[in-house]
Amino acid sequence: MAGWSEKVLEIDLSTQTYKTYPLDMDMARLYIGGRGLGARLLWDLVGPGVDPLSPENVLIFTNGPLTGTGYQTSNRFSVTTKSPLTGTILDANSGGFWGMQFRKTGYDVMIVRGKSDKPVWIEIKNAAITFHDASDLWGMRVFALTEKLGQNNNKRNVLCIGPAGENLSRIAAIMNDRERALARGGPGAVMGSKNLKAIVVEGKDRPEIVDKDQFKFLLYEARKSLAQSPLTSQALPEFGTVVLMNIMNNVGALATRNHQQTQFEGAEAISGEELTDNYLVRNASCWACPIGCTRISRTEKVEGEGPEFESTWAFGAQCGIADLPAIIEANALCNDLGLDTISVGSTIACAMELSEKNFMDSELRFGRADQLAPTIEAIATRSDIGADLADGSLRLATKYGHPELSMSSKGLEMPAYDPRGMQGQGLLYATSNRGGCHMRGNMVGPEVLGAPKLIDRFQVQGKSSFVILHQNTAAAIDSLVLCKFTNYGVAEEYFARVLSAVTGIKYSTGDMIKVGERVWNLERLYNLREGFTNKDDTLPPRLLNEAPTDGPSKGWVVQLEPMLKEYYRGRGWDENGIPTKKKLAELDLEVLL
Amino acid sequence: MPTVKIFANLRKIAGTKELSAAGTTVGDVLNGLREQNPLLVEAILEDGTIRPHFVITINGHNALDLNTPVTEQDVIAIFPPIAGGS
Ligand code: SF4
Repeated sequence: MAGWSEKVLEIDLSTQTYKTYPLDMDMARLYIGGRGLGARLLWDLVGPGVDPLSPENVLIFTNGPLTGTGYQTSNRFSVTTKSPLTGTILDANSGGFWGMQFRKTGYDVMIVRGKSDKPVWIEIKNAAITFHDASDLWGMRVFALTEKLGQNNNKRNVLCIGPAGENLSRIAAIMNDRERALARGGPGAVMGSKNLKAIVVEGKDRPEIVDKDQFKFLLYEARKSLAQSPLTSQALPEFGTVVLMNIMNNVGALATRNHQQTQFEGAEAISGEELTDNYLVRNASCWACPIGCTRISRTEKVEGEGPEFESTWAFGAQCGIADLPAIIEANALCNDLGLDTISVGSTIACAMELSEKNFMDSELRFGRADQLAPTIEAIATRSDIGADLADGSLRLATKYGHPELSMSSKGLEMPAYDPRGMQGQGLLYATSNRGGCHMRGNMVGPEVLGAPKLIDRFQVQGKSSFVILHQNTAAAIDSLVLCKFTNYGVAEEYFARVLSAVTGIKYSTGDMIKVGERVWNLERLYNLREGFTNKDDTLPPRLLNEAPTDGPSKGWVVQLEPMLKEYYRGRGWDENGIPTKKKLAELDLEVLL
Repeated sequence: MPTVKIFANLRKIAGTKELSAAGTTVGDVLNGLREQNPLLVEAILEDGTIRPHFVITINGHNALDLNTPVTEQDVIAIFPPIAGGS
């Protein structure tokens, strides 16, 4: 059958052996690929009680039927695992080139289990697998390692961890193609716990497409739509994602100094406009992407990809730092050490507040740009103060007796958008299955940018239906796996049409949204099985009780309770947030229980 | 006079980050700017209405149309189409 390669590769690092077997095609039809397929496989492979950093946890790398076909942004792939940061189900996806190359090796899925007794790296050349000793690579940073292992964008692609993953930092990322990251929730630590330093892929397979004419037509149509939309043809390429800085600050929803304020007086100095005017070298793009939102920026010390809006915010407003070169350098350092920029920045901000309030004895202070680089180095090596910060803000703040100062939900640090000025975003963070995250149905489009349509960001009643729709759509796009930015220029109906053309199976837009809903509910079931309850669908007390004293969000806290009630009802869950039998039957999920 | 702050590529068109013009509604102020900077106003309005995906705020609160009232001390912020964070 076209669409999927129909092959699973399973690697056991404990014995350095592997096997291949056919992909369960009934499962593939229901979950497509990427995040959905990963979640379904994790459900069977990693049960409750498994320590995320033990050999019993697995890393599941998945692509999707569109990956490598050349459809716009068909470059992405996912990793699914149990998160060492949150204990929840975790999937993270990334762009670049590696995902397309992985597809060309002829596998839809790669499951990595066990633990090697010494450092190892894996090479997959077409279908052949080789295990290499990585003792001499252990300790290497990402940029040097990526080059050493022969990164060549369209031919040979490197995925690896840096020192942070080796040292089991629970906020360590897996990096691919040098500066792309499977960032959130600590997948780098899972890879480190397995003594796995890198996976290099080289392939020749061409994904098959059933209806080539229709596929070509849709490719043409999507290109036209992306070129016509001012969002994908101008906004993203001209200023990158950092262009959000000024607007989020303007509307009073830019979390500042560990969410103590909602506006940052230094926003203009770290804005997309400033980055473009003074530090941008050129644009870059992932494979098969006509949008090209990536920035290559340069300071006196570094030149490289980024920083994205979230990273700029994390080291900027969240730490009270208005020094753009220092932020660019902090971002590059995190990429080189293999760290999640959002969690690192927010954990440093948490330490700054703990220190300023004398709950923690350290020199860290808001606004100190000179403290960023040494603190990041210390986190990656777990040295000095880094030993306290390497496991994220919740463990840090708990150690010093003030867990309420961790700006996280389910233990995952939230990104830039302060939900007191965006009520829907608050509900999104509280209900996100991998913890406080904006990639699970970001409400910035409707609540701030007017895309597709502006809704009142302070509205509470009726907000849950928007959040549910965005969450389901995001889960569907993550299961395809495409870049969500295409959705700014291409309507959802194209996703179903192109999937139908590639696979020969008729999917409607409704079917796609149902895939997203199925995936969301399965992730919920996973977390419930791990012991999470509705009590975990919450936010830091600051966001629920402390209203900003000035700015456009003055007087607002997140009105979580009424939104949650409405949300559970809208999802077809009971009042405790547990999916009902009826809902599970509707989504073909009851067979799992 | 109300202050008008502009962002992203509007700054390139106007050659500045900030302007001001008299007026008691957003539409009035934009009309006032037309003399100083016709290209800027053309970039914002199409056939007398705000172009799609533009965001206009007054002191950080969304102005939904050109009739939204403004006072002397107000800050109007105008953002051309912006995306990201999906
Ligand atoms: S829009 Fe940006 S992140 Fe998405 S595929 Fe294109 S270059 Fe990559």
